[in-house]
Amino acid sequence: MFTRKRSGIAAMAVALSLALTACGGGSSDSSSSGGNLRLGAIVPPTSLSAANAFWANESIYTQAVYDSLLRETPDAQVQPWLATSWSYDDSKTVLTMKLRDDVVFTDGTKFDASVAAQNVLRFKAGTSSSAANLANVSDAVATDPTTLTITLSQPDPAMLLYLAQAAGAQGSPKAFGAPDEQTNPVGSGPYVLDQDKTVVGSTYVYTKNPDYWAPEEQHFDTLTVNVYATIQTEVNALQGGQIDGANLLDNTANDQVEAAGFTLVPHELDWAGLVLFDRSGQLAPQLADVRVRQAIAHAIDREAILEAANDGAGTVTGQVFGPGTPAFDESLDDTYDYDPPAARKLLADAGLAGGFSVSMPQIQIGSTTVYDLVAQYLSDVGITVDYTPVPLNSAIGDILAAKYPAAFFILQQDPTAWQTANFSITQGATWNVFHQADPTVQGLVSTIQSGSEADADAAAKKLNEYVVQQAWFVPFYRNEGNFAASKDIEVVQQADNAYPLLQNITPAS
Amino acid sequence: MLRFVLRRLAAGVVLVVVIAVATFFLLHAAGGDIGRRILGQTASAETVQFKNQQLGLDQPLLSQFGHWLSGAVRGDLGTSWFSGQPVVDAITSRTAVTLSLVIGATLVTAVIAVLLGVLAAQRGGWVDRVVQLASVLGTAVPGFLVAIGLVLVFAIDLGWFEPTGYTSLSDSAGGWLAAITLPVLALSIGSIASVTQQVRGAMLDALRQDWVRTLRSRGLPESRVVYEHVLRNAAGPALSVLAVQFIALIGGAIFVETIFAIPGLGQVAVGATSQGDIPLVLGLVIAVSLLVVVVNLVVDLLQGWLNPKVRRA
Repeated sequence: MFTRKRSGIAAMAVALSLALTACGGGSSDSSSSGGNLRLGAIVPPTSLSAANAFWANESIYTQAVYDSLLRETPDAQVQPWLATSWSYDDSKTVLTMKLRDDVVFTDGTKFDASVAAQNVLRFKAGTSSSAANLANVSDAVATDPTTLTITLSQPDPAMLLYLAQAAGAQGSPKAFGAPDEQTNPVGSGPYVLDQDKTVVGSTYVYTKNPDYWAPEEQHFDTLTVNVYATIQTEVNALQGGQIDGANLLDNTANDQVEAAGFTLVPHELDWAGLVLFDRSGQLAPQLADVRVRQAIAHAIDREAILEAANDGAGTVTGQVFGPGTPAFDESLDDTYDYDPPAARKLLADAGLAGGFSVSMPQIQIGSTTVYDLVAQYLSDVGITVDYTPVPLNSAIGDILAAKYPAAFFILQQDPTAWQTANFSITQGATWNVFHQADPTVQGLVSTIQSGSEADADAAAKKLNEYVVQQAWFVPFYRNEGNFAASKDIEVVQQADNAYPLLQNITPAS
Repeated sequence: MLRFVLRRLAAGVVLVVVIAVATFFLLHAAGGDIGRRILGQTASAETVQFKNQQLGLDQPLLSQFGHWLSGAVRGDLGTSWFSGQPVVDAITSRTAVTLSLVIGATLVTAVIAVLLGVLAAQRGGWVDRVVQLASVLGTAVPGFLVAIGLVLVFAIDLGWFEPTGYTSLSDSAGGWLAAITLPVLALSIGSIASVTQQVRGAMLDALRQDWVRTLRSRGLPESRVVYEHVLRNAAGPALSVLAVQFIALIGGAIFVETIFAIPGLGQVAVGATSQGDIPLVLGLVIAVSLLVVVVNLVVDLLQGWLNPKVRRA
């Protein structure tokens, strides 16, 4: 009797659990066509305020709530958005933008040129990772309610692109300085953050802005973005039908994702390889000799590293400029083929036939394959790599503090040569860690900045050729990333962003 | 009794302060450029420096601690460096989630472990051996493997439960139960094994006492002897183990919340610690420490209620 009672209780508990599961929200909305778009992301937003808005993997949060002054096509061409037209003066330092007059923020405040000017200046003074994009903005003023004039301290070929991204995000002036500005965004965009359903750091729920000025761009009634810290959790959510799409954290589960019926939409945004920071030999005098840097480039078997360290997910490359830029030249990819004898000869010519040692950080990210291979290839030509283990958290800080003459790293490929140059090549570039000047670079970048389009493109090509010849970088491959899309949605990857732009995620036709 | 409670609370406050101080300085000793960590590889050096200034990281360490402490004593634990959310909000919004799991797992543990422990002690023989074997297995198998197995079988293959996420009780009772079922099971396995062994041992000890023989000789039904008298005597040690398990389950919630993507304290603790979000980590440490102090106090009071000798001690 006692046993039967306990069995009955257990059976009831299981039945109750299953019954409640079936009837009470155990499964999410299954439809995403015009209904609920459920996406996975690999990072939560750092800030939801317009002044500190982020882009890249956080663009989805920014785009959901904020309109930008301009908009990008998937191949990174600028299009009108809140600004309907624009023009530069002859000096390319005064940008005049004509703005829409029918845009209202979700708190009822009207958008105008004065608000736009404030947003631009606040972003420049803010702490977004992209704040430096507006470093060349010296002022922004409203000439009249629909005319915004932005004055630049020097021409900036990427300025329009920046204004199509986080730097152009327009927030309501009533939210400026509010105590909850970082977590309670007020924009004029297609969606409104539902604070009650949002769990900061984990789940962000947005509902359709009922008064949006471009309703044809609101493809879904609601948008939910869940943050997944591991690839397995992300894959579980995809397999369980909990999300319609996700930017995959890595490529280790691609087969599982495809087997679950998802389409992988690839893109290549970053390059992985060695950065030989110490171009003038401050820490490692040997690296000041171009022959030594070229020897390092010849010593590496890029194909093998791509296969072994990245499961072949990517494309072998020898240049830091991406295929979408005028600087790109496919023939440069073969400049330094895998040729250990050539590497040894170059080292011998440089007086280093006996080899030398170079220190590099070994970032603690789990797999050591790429580090082991680099050490092995360089060892084969007589170069000993002394690795210093560095925790992931302090890796960027340590490298940018010029503690190492060289490092294996993954760096972004920007859509314009100007951006790439200012990211890693020019004297002021963040990733020119020792901030070494080079007159050739300076001259070519000056043409890219101020020359005609044809001259700028030609200079970009020359710059790429020069950088490859100098071997300041030893790129191995362009890293492939993937967005998993269910059958319910169509996704077009963005040429210059880690996450597809919101307007390019639409219901399947 | 009041003096006892006050003494334990005072000790708890000292404990929390010591832990907070140690955590603060240990996290700072780990070093690293916080501004760079927040802003990533693309930010300029100037923006990173401005961010560090904004966070007060350009101030001397003691001054930073004093600033944090002055806010903490007023109930302001600061703001997360990485999300901008007030730490108090981040913790309060997630405490109920973690407590759902931990209390659920504790209840499941208590019920199943007492049943199995009593059964093993009372029946002996093959029943006892099976229970002991199951306990060893339950202790030996890592909880995260159980969690992954449960997800694969019951969520992915069978589709009975959601593999990730959480639904609050206020939104949907069914959704909530469905969301916590697998995590609670994964969390409970190890603690059921430990507590079962403890209950079994305590029951066997109690069953050997002279007063049990006396009760039986007076003709009391076996069920009354076991459930009214022996079990009550065995409950003290079992309760102590259960209390320890409760605290361990809070730690266990970290892996369960990570595997099931549940927005609880464990999940945010993993993120905040790996990022170096010092205000948030400090807030979490204080919240969990307070929870441990309160749980221990409640267990002491329950022990006194169960066993008058403890009160007198």
